[in-house]
Amino acid sequence: MSKPTDLVQGTLDLLILRTIALEPTHGWAIAQRIRRVSGDVLQVNQGALYPALHRLELQGWISAEWGESENNRRAKYYSLTKSGKKYLQSERANWERLSAAIGLVLKTA
Amino acid sequence: MRWLKSVLNRAHFLFHKDAVEKELDEELRVHLEHAIAERVSNGMNPADARREALLELGGVEQIKEECREAHGVSRIETVLADLRFGLRTLRKSPGFTIVSVLTLALGIGANTAIFSMVNALLLHPYNFRNLDALVRVWENRGMDEGYEARYIAPADAEDLRAANGLFEGLTTYNMQSFGLGAEGDVQPILGSRVSTNFFDVLAVNPAAGRLFSAAEEQPGADQVAIVSYGAWQRRFGGDPQMLGKTISLNGRAYTIVGIMPKDFDYPVPVELWVPLALTPAEKADRTQLSLSALARLKPGVSVTQAHAAMSSFSHRLELEFPRTNTGRATTLLQLRKELYMFTLPLFLLLQAAAGFVLLLACANLANLAFARMIGRQREIALRAALGAGRGRLGQLFISETLLYSSAAGVVAMLASFASVRALRTSIPAGWTKWVPGWDGIRVDGNVLAFTILAALGVGLFLGLAVVLHTSRVEPNKTLKETGMGAVTRTKRRVRNALVVAQVMFALILLVCAGLTIQGFVRLANVYQGFEPASVLRIEILLPQKVYTDNVKINSFYQQVLRGAVSLSGVQHAALVTNPPASNVDSETSLFSIEGRPAVKASEVPSADLQIASPDYFATLKISTIAGRMFSDADSAEAARVVVISSGMASRFWPKGDALGHHIRLGGLDSKEPWLTVVGVAGDVRQNWWNPLTRPVIYQPFVQAPQRSMTLLMRTASNPTSYVSAMRDVVRGIDPGIALRGVNTLEDEIADAIAIVRIMGILMGVFGLVALALSSIGVYGVLSESVAQRTHEIGIRLALGANPRDLMKLILGEALRLTGIGLLIALPCTVAISRAMASMIFGVVSVDFAILSGFTALLVAVALGAAYVPARRAMRVDPVISLRYE
Repeated sequence: MSKPTDLVQGTLDLLILRTIALEPTHGWAIAQRIRRVSGDVLQVNQGALYPALHRLELQGWISAEWGESENNRRAKYYSLTKSGKKYLQSERANWERLSAAIGLVLKTA
Repeated sequence: MRWLKSVLNRAHFLFHKDAVEKELDEELRVHLEHAIAERVSNGMNPADARREALLELGGVEQIKEECREAHGVSRIETVLADLRFGLRTLRKSPGFTIVSVLTLALGIGANTAIFSMVNALLLHPYNFRNLDALVRVWENRGMDEGYEARYIAPADAEDLRAANGLFEGLTTYNMQSFGLGAEGDVQPILGSRVSTNFFDVLAVNPAAGRLFSAAEEQPGADQVAIVSYGAWQRRFGGDPQMLGKTISLNGRAYTIVGIMPKDFDYPVPVELWVPLALTPAEKADRTQLSLSALARLKPGVSVTQAHAAMSSFSHRLELEFPRTNTGRATTLLQLRKELYMFTLPLFLLLQAAAGFVLLLACANLANLAFARMIGRQREIALRAALGAGRGRLGQLFISETLLYSSAAGVVAMLASFASVRALRTSIPAGWTKWVPGWDGIRVDGNVLAFTILAALGVGLFLGLAVVLHTSRVEPNKTLKETGMGAVTRTKRRVRNALVVAQVMFALILLVCAGLTIQGFVRLANVYQGFEPASVLRIEILLPQKVYTDNVKINSFYQQVLRGAVSLSGVQHAALVTNPPASNVDSETSLFSIEGRPAVKASEVPSADLQIASPDYFATLKISTIAGRMFSDADSAEAARVVVISSGMASRFWPKGDALGHHIRLGGLDSKEPWLTVVGVAGDVRQNWWNPLTRPVIYQPFVQAPQRSMTLLMRTASNPTSYVSAMRDVVRGIDPGIALRGVNTLEDEIADAIAIVRIMGILMGVFGLVALALSSIGVYGVLSESVAQRTHEIGIRLALGANPRDLMKLILGEALRLTGIGLLIALPCTVAISRAMASMIFGVVSVDFAILSGFTALLVAVALGAAYVPARRAMRVDPVISLRYE
């Protein structure tokens, strides 16, 4: 399995952060929510999901806690830390600027 | 805060590995359960749901590995694993391990030992505050005044002190030998007369009592003394009531006001300090450069700035006092650098030699490691095939070599405690006290840090060498090959380069060691011009109170001389002020030659002054070059005569007509009587650092008697057996006189050059180690590379090659490699030995006998190394060697 490229990795991080910003979520639910919210367009590569979660946790953007899932299963819930929230804001602004710029180029050029 | 969390997380991952692993398993299991449950609830049967979920997730192990990598733990873990693997490898081949570790320990240990000397003698010679701000100040007359002749005229020093804004303080001093004690028991004691700010400029405080006050510089108020810790202990038994006591120096009473700390005995190991109380006339003197001066630069003043200021200062003095100061340049030199002039070349040489030994040890180990790598090629190829990248393999090799070098570092460190102590105590304390910082030679933090760095550096260096050597592994090819891995072209090139390098290093180090040892042997034999064997020396000091005039002094010493020669077996007896190998420079004196008046004070020449009784030249077997030596006819009333040294005669009378000329001692305005040159004596080396041809003026003892003289006796048998008889003789003349400094002249010389001898021995040891290492190394590489060709030799022989031609081919190749190494090394050695010749007192010179001897030796080793395995390979039946695969 090849490593995700930087863009994909960066995007995945952003998607994860945004997804768990609403409420603490476990790995499976993160993947499901991204798929659902994107209208089945974005299929999260599950092999890349967990390394990304662990990396974000190590970097201190997110923290993890074990808890009960909706169908009474033990699961590891990820939530945003304080610095993670700031990071998400700045990354989100970056992304919007970037996509707007790309959109502009595609429309006019 | 985030970084803290990150670090904590990382630590958590590292130290709770099992828990983290379990969580990871659990997390992935939960994920699968969810995935399966969703599919089942969509109507899929459980078995299919499980299969699909697993497929969707991908390789579980790989995900886990990526998670571990994300934790940043894997790197540390693999290093630990590599170290464990390395330890196992080391244990598997104990012979190889022991040889490698000991070889490296030898190389590292040699460097540690020498660095402990460098650390003490070069980096921390004195523990004065801010040593680098201290400068020696002196007036340079542009003449060859010998080693350490850096003096200043009192009036000039006073002007400099008054005028200069550069110095925090400037202090002057000179050395003086005092007679300590009351009449009847006078002991010579070396002291220093210092201006009262001496200790302030050096920034040292007394261990007890006080320093001098400025008022004590006035003649009359100056009867106070500060004693060294050593003198306090030895001479006064550590008397706790020492302060305030009165001692007698040269018959004057001095009150002890202070005791200095244990490690302070500047400028040379002196035992006491008294104020330098100059009379107004002495203070106003500009003709004689009679004082040593030290200054402390103000903070922020650079040595360069100070230099510039000095030259304008001496220019001003030249204009103001042209008669005395023309041609004199006030100069300064950092105190540390002054010391370096003597010690730096010696210790750099030793450190360089130790460095070469370490390089040779590394080269040998690299060889061994390469040889082992060939055996491990399949292992390496397998690792590469299983996905180990270059970086990963490099990490493995470097971990292994670091293990070796760390073990070697530990061995070297443990051994250094003993070896450094042995080094420090190998030279008699009587001599080492003259070497500032010698007592500080020990294994301290600096030395330990040096050893650790050296060990790690060596480990990295070796590891990188191995990595480069094995960088291009082709698993496909290597794994397919059977038997011994083939040696590729690149690899052979690397090993050939190693042979060349080893031959090169070996020759350079051997020649340096040879030259240094030769130089030191020559230094040991520098005491030329006289015969030290069978000569007894005894120092005698007459108390001033009893021996008040020349008649009394003369009569005492005449009786001593008569008593000495009356002992049976004593062939000659004589008196001299400063015998050779005394480690003290002779008193120097300015002089002028009749008919050649010096116009300026700066042109007045100077010479060593020796006072000797008539038999001095016969006692030491100093040759007579021209004229006559002294005789009893040169009495106190007779015409005043001198004998001069051959070096002085040829310098001032190059046409060889010195005899009959008149000279006068003293400076420009001297009123001393004229002295007639009646003889020219052979040159004598006073001390090993003095040039042989230093000008010396000898005066007959009776015409210039002195209280402090050294008695020399040439005896028929063991000189020490005459000591008690001589003691009786002196007691018979004056029971109050004690004999001091009793020793044979030969022992005195051995002590004097002890430090030179220890250097020679160290260089000799390094040379031998280098010879052994390089022989083993060259032999190892060459024989290994021939042995690898056993198969090829077998084929050639089977195909009918002539064994003799084959042998020629192999020997030719060995010779070619050795030759390249030698060709590169030869110009280097010539350049290095030239540099050494200029650095080390001129005692080392380029020597082609040494050069060609060692070259031949290395060629012989190389030929042997190729011949033995080639011979073995040829004896093997071709059929067997082909099957050997």
